[in-house]
Amino acid sequence: MNCIITIELGTNAVRVFAFDLQGEVIGFQKGTYPTFHEQPDHSEQDPEQMFITMLYVLKKLLNEVVYTKKFEVSCICFSSSMHSLLAVDEDGIPLGNAITWADNRGKIEAATLKGTPLGDTIYKATGTPIHPMSPLVKIAWLRNNDPERFKLTHKFLSIKSYIIQQLTGSCIIDHSIASATGLMNIHSLEWDSSALDFAGITAARLPQLVPVFYSDMKLKREYQKSLRLLPSVRILIGSSDGCLATLGAGVWDKGRATITIEDSGAFRVIGTEVLDDPGQQLFNYRLTNELLVSGGPTNNGGVILEWFANQFGELSTEYDSEQALTGLIREASIIPPGSNGLLFLPYLLGERAPIWNANARGCYFGLNIRHERKHMIRATIEGILFEMFSIGKTLEAHRNIESLSINGSFASIPLCTQMIADMFNKPVNTLIHGNSIGVGAYLLSATDLGIYPNLEQASKQVRMHQTFLPDPKAHEIYKQYFRIFENLTKKLGTDFDDLAALPTN
Amino acid sequence: MTVGALGITCLNKWYERIILFALFQNSGHMNQLDLRQGISRELTAFPHILEISLVKNSTIQLNSFENELVDCICLYIVTEGKFDWLIDRKPYAVYPGDLAVLLPNQCISGENNILNIGSFYLIKIAVPPSCKVLLGRWSLLNNKEKISVNQVLNHSRGTPVVKLKEAQSLFQSLVAELKNMEVGAQTLVNHMLDQLLIYTCRQLVRQSNSRRDFPQTFLNLEQILRKDLAHQWTVEEMAVLTGMGTTAFTEKVRSFSGFSPLNYLINIRISEAIKMLKRKEASLTDIAYATGFYSSQHFSTTFKKLTGYTPSDFRKNNQAEQHQRS
Repeated sequence: MNCIITIELGTNAVRVFAFDLQGEVIGFQKGTYPTFHEQPDHSEQDPEQMFITMLYVLKKLLNEVVYTKKFEVSCICFSSSMHSLLAVDEDGIPLGNAITWADNRGKIEAATLKGTPLGDTIYKATGTPIHPMSPLVKIAWLRNNDPERFKLTHKFLSIKSYIIQQLTGSCIIDHSIASATGLMNIHSLEWDSSALDFAGITAARLPQLVPVFYSDMKLKREYQKSLRLLPSVRILIGSSDGCLATLGAGVWDKGRATITIEDSGAFRVIGTEVLDDPGQQLFNYRLTNELLVSGGPTNNGGVILEWFANQFGELSTEYDSEQALTGLIREASIIPPGSNGLLFLPYLLGERAPIWNANARGCYFGLNIRHERKHMIRATIEGILFEMFSIGKTLEAHRNIESLSINGSFASIPLCTQMIADMFNKPVNTLIHGNSIGVGAYLLSATDLGIYPNLEQASKQVRMHQTFLPDPKAHEIYKQYFRIFENLTKKLGTDFDDLAALPTN
Repeated sequence: MTVGALGITCLNKWYERIILFALFQNSGHMNQLDLRQGISRELTAFPHILEISLVKNSTIQLNSFENELVDCICLYIVTEGKFDWLIDRKPYAVYPGDLAVLLPNQCISGENNILNIGSFYLIKIAVPPSCKVLLGRWSLLNNKEKISVNQVLNHSRGTPVVKLKEAQSLFQSLVAELKNMEVGAQTLVNHMLDQLLIYTCRQLVRQSNSRRDFPQTFLNLEQILRKDLAHQWTVEEMAVLTGMGTTAFTEKVRSFSGFSPLNYLINIRISEAIKMLKRKEASLTDIAYATGFYSSQHFSTTFKKLTGYTPSDFRKNNQAEQHQRS
């Protein structure tokens, strides 16, 4: 029997799935790696640690599950988080750690570019909002602040490019990951000259662009041997976590959108046309030569609820935040929509879509003497989802959305799923498979292997689990609260900036 | 003990001045505590205790607490007032109930070189010369425990102040033992010193780990491991640094990271080894020791098992690729 392996190089961990050719999961392994914050705005990962963790986890899954169940590997497909940047010297050796999407060191470079005619041109050409997350801005930061490293850099890679280069020797980047660098023209699928100029580099210092179906490479012999893989195993470059989560959520028809909320979150649609957003709040990333995934990301997803549980939850034993979380969610569920007049702005980590303000901060509003912890926890969850709703609203200016599908550990908490249905006043579907990124990578591989004629047919294999229908009464309440939520966010904009400018902050 | 002798030996030290001052003020009232190694009979049986004193300060004077480089373990236990100190040039406000611990090569002074009004106990414990552990043979701890105490203290250099309520009463019992010298006192005094240091370590660990946020605790641990990768870390030692029991620690690491603690450590060792192999300078044996393998054979087997390459093949292969590229 044959199987497909998907490798997801995520923000906190590598996740490896084995699927049979019909898409059933036959095995799963994960391994975490840390993010280092040497300075407050910095967010970095060790590329060799990611590589070795990936190798270890892959080997374990192959030996303990795939080979013992007598499966043979047909294809290995990669996905990774977006916006990472790794500088390597002329020998291909990393110059420091990989800089992740969460890194904010390029604040000044981003602010200088944003809103200028050049910034507008680059946003339109590349589909990536001007923000410190984007490798475009990170390279500009290196040029301005670390000229030595900038000069020594032979290639600016994504973490996925680096891992694939270690395994196969090819120096390539797929259109999905490249379209999130702020450096690739999403219309021509070439590196964009105005973006390259701003970054201060030529295309020769970037990897070669290839489609997501690219597989013209082979594992190095030593890895074939140690992983016991045949030379014929197809190595598929694959796509980004965001694009594959959308594909894996089975979102295809025009009227559908998907909400993903893990630690962070995003609201996404799939289509053939670039969404031309004059406010530059939305991204347009390439899934394939024909298809784009468009939407908006938030920094403040499940990580905010986890923060609340860590600070205010009741731990029966140390470090048992999961149990604390369950208790808190139970408390929140007995409070009515609107948390009896309490609102929460969830911007603890600054915010990307739709306000794109790294200085934004969290805020409880409307506290009165009768509010208890359970009101605060309910307001916290509602605040996180109001933020998702406001991204959805921005997208609805471009698309008519009739139904939603959700994935990610936070969005799949039934209380949260119901809230999403109520806020949007739309039916919300949950999925059978917990991990849409893995499923998306499977669908991509299976299409590549000819199991499905195209991605559209493939996406029809995604089965829905349960549908949550909106409660019109709750919707009316949320509508009124959202108006205040939106106003507060708008009004506090300059105060966030003033707070950030204080020397003690 | 004569005033003259004291004055000549170390007149420049601020606490001497205060004690002198106290002696002149309340001559006949010798309830001030000031025991010194080589001077005080009480310490003859405890060569590792360099000093035990109570410092009381009632006036603010210029240059009363100038920068002092420490060459032993110093414990400051504040009992009254509030002290603004610079420890390794970082400011700390130290209150009653707080304990500040300093290790060799750390320095301490008052802010603006002034000693604030208040009082504190001070204990100085000698560190064995050219020995890896901080606690000498006097300590009743076993070797493993001594290594853990070392690790905790060394990694807490950046956070030297802890709240430790037990410290005052422990100090007072210790002094009573020293003064009375009843049967068994020699053992008990050392025992109490151990106890004081153990409590300090436990509190340092508790203070640096929230006990709520495991990912953060685990990240702190990883950073400690990376700073001293050559050390042969045991699971027990790692657990101590997180303030958890070994079993709970192993289970938590497994469910969080997907690896057992030792396998997680191997990942870090191999990733550091890869970096060193790619740079040409270090020999394979040096890399093996620097990354914590106990022999180059052990390094080679582990590396090959994980990557499919022996370290030397990995290096050769990598250089060949670099050659191709240029």
